[in-house]
Amino acid sequence: MNNRLKVLRAERDWSQADLAERLGVSRQTVNALETGRYDPSLPLAFRIARVFGQPIESIFLDTE
Amino acid sequence: MNPGSKPRRPYGIGTYLLMLLGVAVVGAIVGGFAGAFGDMPGPAGLAITAASITAAMAVAFAACIWWWRGIDEAAREAHKWAWWWGGSGGMAAGIVLLTTLTVRGDETSLADVGLSVPDLIVTGMWAVLLFQLAGYSVAWAVWWLKHR
Repeated sequence: MNNRLKVLRAERDWSQADLAERLGVSRQTVNALETGRYDPSLPLAFRIARVFGQPIESIFLDTE
Repeated sequence: MNPGSKPRRPYGIGTYLLMLLGVAVVGAIVGGFAGAFGDMPGPAGLAITAASITAAMAVAFAACIWWWRGIDEAAREAHKWAWWWGGSGGMAAGIVLLTTLTVRGDETSLADVGLSVPDLIVTGMWAVLLFQLAGYSVAWAVWWLKHR
């Protein structure tokens, strides 16, 4: 599953550590999410959507 | 999990080391207690030994729960994946190796090393656990390398 996390984070000039702090996860988790190698749970996806103020489907893109 | 709940923050390495030290201290106290009083004859000694080991395991398990609640979901996923695939693979390898070395009837067999039956059982149990932990450690590292 692709996502726009890196773009959204760059638009806000946040580091991975900044985003990790806002989400309550480790920087390594943010990195794994951004590279598309780890798909978040629904609760974390909702937190991400809230942090960026966007709906989940505009952040995570179904590639199937 | 309530999506609105505030996530817990991962603890620092110092906190984990302190927790490990605490568990080690408790284990030493419990082990000393069991060593001093567990050899008592009859049910009393057996009860003291069982209670001591149970207490040590309970403290270790409580520490595990505390640690688990402090890590985030990717870290949990890494541990779950590593325990299933690495632990299972390590256990399988350990069973193959230990069984092969034990059931043979010649001089390469481990069955004739002079240990008592209870010693062999406990040694086998810990040996399989060590194989599991080795496989788990490798799989955990692989998970994070793949997800970097």
